[in-house]
Amino acid sequence: MKLSFSPEDEQFRQEVAAWLQQNLTGEFEKLRYRGGPGDEHMFPEERKVWERKLAEGGWTCVGWAKEYGGRGCSIEQQVIFFEEYARAGAPGRVGHIGEGLAGPTIIAFGTQEQKEKYLPGIVAGTQLWCQGYSEPSAGSDLANVKTKARFDEARGKWIINGQKVWTSLAHESEYCFVIARTEPDSVAHKGLGFFLIEMDQPGIEVRPIEQITGTSEFNEVFFDDAVCDAGDIVGAPGDGWKVAMGLLGFERGVSTLGQQMQFQNELDEIVRLAKSNGAAQDPVIRQRIAGAHAELKIMRYNSMRILSGQSGSDGALQKEALIYKLFWSTWHRSLGELAMDVLGPECEILEDGPYELSRLQSMYLFVRADTIYGGTNQIQRNIIAERGLGMPREPKGAAK
Amino acid sequence: MDFTFTEDQLLFQESVRDFLQNEVTCERIRASWETDSGRDTALWNQLVELGLTGMTVPEEHGGLGMTELDFVLLAQECGYVALPEPLVHTVMVAVPMLNELGGELAAEWLPKIAAGDARVVVGLQQCLLVEDAHIADLLLLQQGNVLVAATADQVFLKHNESIDPSRKLFSVEVQAGAQQIAEGEQAATCVANALNRGALGCAAQALGLAQRMVDLSVQYTSERQQFGKPIGSFQAVKHHMANVAVQLEYARAPTHRAAYAIANGQELAAYAVSHAKIVACEAANLAAKNSHQVHGAMGYTWEMDLHIFMKKAWALANTWGDTGFHKSRIGDRIFAPRAALGAGATFA
Repeated sequence: MKLSFSPEDEQFRQEVAAWLQQNLTGEFEKLRYRGGPGDEHMFPEERKVWERKLAEGGWTCVGWAKEYGGRGCSIEQQVIFFEEYARAGAPGRVGHIGEGLAGPTIIAFGTQEQKEKYLPGIVAGTQLWCQGYSEPSAGSDLANVKTKARFDEARGKWIINGQKVWTSLAHESEYCFVIARTEPDSVAHKGLGFFLIEMDQPGIEVRPIEQITGTSEFNEVFFDDAVCDAGDIVGAPGDGWKVAMGLLGFERGVSTLGQQMQFQNELDEIVRLAKSNGAAQDPVIRQRIAGAHAELKIMRYNSMRILSGQSGSDGALQKEALIYKLFWSTWHRSLGELAMDVLGPECEILEDGPYELSRLQSMYLFVRADTIYGGTNQIQRNIIAERGLGMPREPKGAAK
Repeated sequence: MDFTFTEDQLLFQESVRDFLQNEVTCERIRASWETDSGRDTALWNQLVELGLTGMTVPEEHGGLGMTELDFVLLAQECGYVALPEPLVHTVMVAVPMLNELGGELAAEWLPKIAAGDARVVVGLQQCLLVEDAHIADLLLLQQGNVLVAATADQVFLKHNESIDPSRKLFSVEVQAGAQQIAEGEQAATCVANALNRGALGCAAQALGLAQRMVDLSVQYTSERQQFGKPIGSFQAVKHHMANVAVQLEYARAPTHRAAYAIANGQELAAYAVSHAKIVACEAANLAAKNSHQVHGAMGYTWEMDLHIFMKKAWALANTWGDTGFHKSRIGDRIFAPRAALGAGATFA
């Protein structure tokens, strides 16, 4: 066990910090601390320019192997990159779904042709991705996907029909990865395919969903004879569930670090606020802040532990990554409540009309989604108890 | 950066786990409740033979010369079986205090501890009572601003019954002849370090206790049937255990981090220990509460083993610094004027 970074790694830290200091200036100054989860609607165009700026400096996909256009950073360097990125207050990444999910999936399961076609656009920060999983009748029961993919022999293309929902950033994205049923009469996780679909085509319509924040980050996406090239299915028809589940594994690795750094910035803002408005004198607020700090520290330690390959080997829950979603989402929801309690009576007063929320107000509302999307807390507890602890499975209704 | 244990450390844990689970059964613990001392000399001798009492004794004094980081996984295993013998106290608190004091005292007593010829206990004012004073050959006691060393014939003991029948607690009155061994800053440092190590020992044992209660509950709810199904298949039951699994899993890293901080003499050890003590004891108390709930009425009986672990978890949560004490140490650090917080401070 060695809980510190080497001198070479600290030198890398200087390099990251220096680049950010030189480049997060001028037109990008206003992006500081903006555009994270719940704040995605802020400055989308400017953040796209920033994404390309990052790419020019070689700071996108830092953990990818060099052969795929990445920087080939070690785990330590990736940790440091995310730390410094957050410390500089650099904005929420518009390219995170491509870099964190689509890209690693294509690298792991894709063909050479798919790698050549899609990876360079992700690395360059010019092509953004969204995730087409949930449907109106496939929420917690994700395998109940109804969207259909039919191969049209005459045109040599897949034809997609159906509807996706809660699709983050669909309105900003060039591509969407979609799970759809390739075998019409199949049920549950059998008979699905994993498709890479271009968004800008007549068969796709994106409708924003207005959220309780008054803004729209999620969308409905309608597929009406949308087309997808024969070469744009990842894995074989019928293997879509395997690919989709493989992708979820990427959500629990290094990409957790960026999220935790965002949390750290939010907590730091709350601590600053509590010190300045006197709330920090209140012993109850003080203890809650201390508790939030301690729990965030736990998330960071655990990411380090998982990334150093420790998970499971010391009697831990073998599938300990299962618990991360439940823990962070519950923590974040409490952080929103804490932020409002630190603000006191001011918490209900908006920055400006019409319905312009402060960053903390926006966070307070957005965290209500955290305990629901990506598997509700209740679904997470089922998974932890059944797969983690080995408790008896709940009888399920017959699939229709 | 490496947040893992070595293969040797994990192998050692495995062999000690096997030994403890074979030897320290619930029947044996219940039998010890019926004896006067509550202690099992045969078992202690086995621990000595395995080299465990001398783990943190330096090699020149006949020990293994290992650190708190090497021992923390073993302390978890001691918790898992609710070991009544004061092994964690010996290795984590008594021996390190003698190491710190050094000199003739260390040269005389450390080899005896490693060889199983003597037992030494530490008593701090923060803990009110002294654990296992009745079997100690030497007691290192905080008396205000000084530390004294008293042999068994230099103390008068009064037994205080614990809610956990395995714990033996005593108020200690020092008689004439006891020797002052440290004062002023040295004494204060020794006391502070002992408190941190004792609290770390509680945290590690709490992890083991929580794991044991989870295992007992998973087994019970998989077997017990109601409405024609194992009760563990019902969400209302399994969610209780999932909540414990989360708390428990996430209490491990802070505990290991604290052991690392102590073993490496890091300035933040006190804060890291407080963090570990709070989350590990909270996990154990939640495990106790939810395990009782899912065991139904059976868990309320003296006959069921659950209370052996629940009572120890409860006792550990409030000794070696209670929750309020440890929470305020964390708060003080976070609200300090130039606190090392922020995104760059992962290991600060």
